[in-house]
Amino acid sequence: MNRRDLIILLAGFAATARAQAPVGMASRGIAPQRRGAPSGRPFHATFHDVGVAAGLRQPVISGSAGHVDYIVESMGCGIAFLDYDNDGWLDIFVLSGTQRGAMLAESSNRLYRNNRDGTFSEVTREAGLTHQGWGYGVTVGDFDNDGFDDIFITQWGQNILYHNNGDGTFSDVTQRAGLLNPEPRWGTGCTWVDYNRDGLLDLFVSHYLWFDFESVPPTGKNPDCNYLGVPVYFGPRGLPPEHCQLYRNNGDGTFTDVTKSAGIDLAAPGYGLTAVAVDYEGTGWPDIHVASDSTPSLLFRNQRDGRLVERGVELGAALNEYGKEQAGMGLAVGDFENSGALGFLKTHFSEDTVGLYRNLGPGGFEDVAMRAGLGVETRYVSWGAGIQDFDNDGLPDLFWATGGVYPEIERAHADHPFKTPRVLFRNLGGGKFEQLLDLGGPAIQEAHCSRGVAFGDFDNDGDVDILIMNVNEPPSLLRNDVVGGGHWLKVKLVGVKSNRSAIGATVIATYGGQHQAQALSAQSSYLSVNDRRLHFGLGSALTADLEIRWPSGAKEKISGVAADRVVTVREGEGIVKAETFAIANGRG
Amino acid sequence: MPALSRLLAALVLASQFAPAQTPQDRPGATAHAGAAARMMQERRYAEAAGEYERSLAQDPANDMIRIEYATCLFAQERDQDARAQFEMEIKRLGEQPGLSYYLAQLDIRAYKAEDAIRRLKPLTANPAFPKASFYLGVAYLSAGQQALALRALEQAARDNPADPEVHYRLGRVYMLADRSADGDREFDLFRQAQQTRRFVEETGHACMEALRTQPIEQARVVCERIADLHDAQRMLWLGELYASHRAYAEALGPLRTATELDPQSFDAWHNLGRSFFLLKRYGEAVPALKKAAALNPGYFDTLNLLAAALHASGDDAAALPVLERAHALNPADGAAAAALERMRAARSAATQPHSGQSHEASESR
Repeated sequence: MNRRDLIILLAGFAATARAQAPVGMASRGIAPQRRGAPSGRPFHATFHDVGVAAGLRQPVISGSAGHVDYIVESMGCGIAFLDYDNDGWLDIFVLSGTQRGAMLAESSNRLYRNNRDGTFSEVTREAGLTHQGWGYGVTVGDFDNDGFDDIFITQWGQNILYHNNGDGTFSDVTQRAGLLNPEPRWGTGCTWVDYNRDGLLDLFVSHYLWFDFESVPPTGKNPDCNYLGVPVYFGPRGLPPEHCQLYRNNGDGTFTDVTKSAGIDLAAPGYGLTAVAVDYEGTGWPDIHVASDSTPSLLFRNQRDGRLVERGVELGAALNEYGKEQAGMGLAVGDFENSGALGFLKTHFSEDTVGLYRNLGPGGFEDVAMRAGLGVETRYVSWGAGIQDFDNDGLPDLFWATGGVYPEIERAHADHPFKTPRVLFRNLGGGKFEQLLDLGGPAIQEAHCSRGVAFGDFDNDGDVDILIMNVNEPPSLLRNDVVGGGHWLKVKLVGVKSNRSAIGATVIATYGGQHQAQALSAQSSYLSVNDRRLHFGLGSALTADLEIRWPSGAKEKISGVAADRVVTVREGEGIVKAETFAIANGRG
Repeated sequence: MPALSRLLAALVLASQFAPAQTPQDRPGATAHAGAAARMMQERRYAEAAGEYERSLAQDPANDMIRIEYATCLFAQERDQDARAQFEMEIKRLGEQPGLSYYLAQLDIRAYKAEDAIRRLKPLTANPAFPKASFYLGVAYLSAGQQALALRALEQAARDNPADPEVHYRLGRVYMLADRSADGDREFDLFRQAQQTRRFVEETGHACMEALRTQPIEQARVVCERIADLHDAQRMLWLGELYASHRAYAEALGPLRTATELDPQSFDAWHNLGRSFFLLKRYGEAVPALKKAAALNPGYFDTLNLLAAALHASGDDAAALPVLERAHALNPADGAAAAALERMRAARSAATQPHSGQSHEASESR
């Protein structure tokens, strides 16, 4: 070989090819905005993780720790606050994944009963809820209006409907209800919704993608699947996206698949995750919103005639402001500007901002995340989220859980940890938010790989606690200890003409010159279920006026409701019960 | 703006300010800038920023490197840092359309709508900035001037008929103006572009799989579905897919078409030149690589290939300075360094018998 050949050969090796199809999840690759000076204002909520001490000791299995071969092992699952025994205390339902080829006994879904003393007892087996599989989403609601909350879960494989028997046990009624899939699918988001306002909860299910272990290559087998040069699992991009499904409740314990007749199948397939049913437009008819991963998110607008038309792009709810898909994971609905209208918070992949969407009315939505100051945090893959007033100052704050999807990365890139801290933004008013890096208590800074999050007051002390699903760890239970003297009001709704769970209702509370809307939904955050008692921080206000928009279309106004109590409102009858928690706790 | 477009725009912008310094002036600075350029090409923006900073620490007056650095920061949405660098260049070079174009986008992101409008208005008639009308529309929208926003975005849609981002924004403004029929028309155009992109992505995956597992004749049937003779990006991607699987002969057609459709595409010219080179068609590789080098003079791989192609064509006189420039950009590349030494030695040997005077001059350099 002469010199010329050698030079040519070496230069040829040096020439690199860069062609690569998009893989993984959508991200904009942006760095955080620079932080401004801290406001210096005190924050009156402090969170401590009391999960293990409270009895939540079993890890939530999701594949093997430290390595992920398939995307089904990575997506984690939701978690629920519910009151399955109607004792006024929140119980906990924890979904679970499993491990391929080894259905571990400890990988079951779990039900924990609230002992009313800050602890929980596991009652999974007694309740008949032992089940191993790849669980993802959960929705809780009384589908047969018998006064007890039922549970529906989505899985890779076959979804399950559990009927609450009212005696502390549940029965799998999936087959009887007509909800068996003809073939395995990957159900993710799910929500009860009375889309046709007949007083019966119907069921909406989103699907992530088509998957099976035999045809999808595991990590390392597809050279195009790498992140930062490290081989990672295949998907979601490159795997077939899926359609959503809608089942109408027939009122006799069975459901009919109305996906086609309702127009749900006309929406483009996508990588659907969290599903939320909420009346965004104040029409009295629920719309259905689906956070979609790396495909346009979906917003099905209720046509009030049994059909829903997907209009997410048109309404500005599907894409970022540049018309690009984001990795939509979690979805929280709330009124973060106290405008009386419902907006939403959508979580995304790392190196991207979350989306914070203001409701513009008929024109749709506008992402104000950057303007609100949320662009300072883009480091983490973000999942379950909530718009909740944690410090009872009357202004809803923002919280989301985080966690990586590729555990292998941190071994090569220490700056890409798998376990990451929680994110808490305090509402400063005027549409501005401030991230609390040092305030908020030790549980905010603790690093976990988290997915589903549920918000609720498990210890009935007048604030909002946080329940978090952690991958291959026990759940975290972030007890909120609020000082500062802010007042609060919890509203529990009981439907009469509406579905008994009142799912789909909107409550607008007016207090101290503020108007805050909250929606009663059966799934939000990330595939999770919140406390159905709506919590309003009232600040210094001692009373609030309530406007209730029932799922039946009826409206009800109640004036001068005293603060610091939970009121039960029965449709058409006003407040039928008011309890202070001191009395409820036996401390009054 | 998509990352790739941003990068290309940055490169076009930067090339307007060719460095006054030669590589010999600031060898360390050039090497860091070369490393940064490679990282930019691989979209490793955060690492590229570090290399640019090291380069500028040694050569702070280099306008081209600072502008590349600013666009690198812009790509990462490190807006305040990017603004500081662009504004520094405005102080040094005076108002320049390219600088105004980037600063206007930073103004929009910072909700300084009036500043953005002021910068963008003069650019809307400049064909070098076809999306100026789009950003002007966005700025008007941010300023609450919906009617002006609509007019600007309608102009943007005429200027950029295949750009989904423009149709999306215009559709949203029509919706806000309660003109849902017009909005639906724009969203249809947006969706068409989206569907095309998804089809191309899915076909790309199938193509890669076919190229890995099937004979080229069969793989070609799958891959050619990506081709669109009116779309430079698709032709480029098809060419890159072929080339990345060593199907260089198949890559030539799509890459040639990509260069015809978008003569300012560095990637198309680079890959075309590289494919010719690897097919040993050195005479055809040279002009393609020269064009690529003109579009991105700081990219080592292009210069290294160009030097080798010139050398293979027997033009060592032309190859030597190109290889010297490549070596300055990436002194850690042992092969290029060794080749340069050999080429210098060969040149020296070739000139020695003819003229003692020349040899002395060569030595004195």
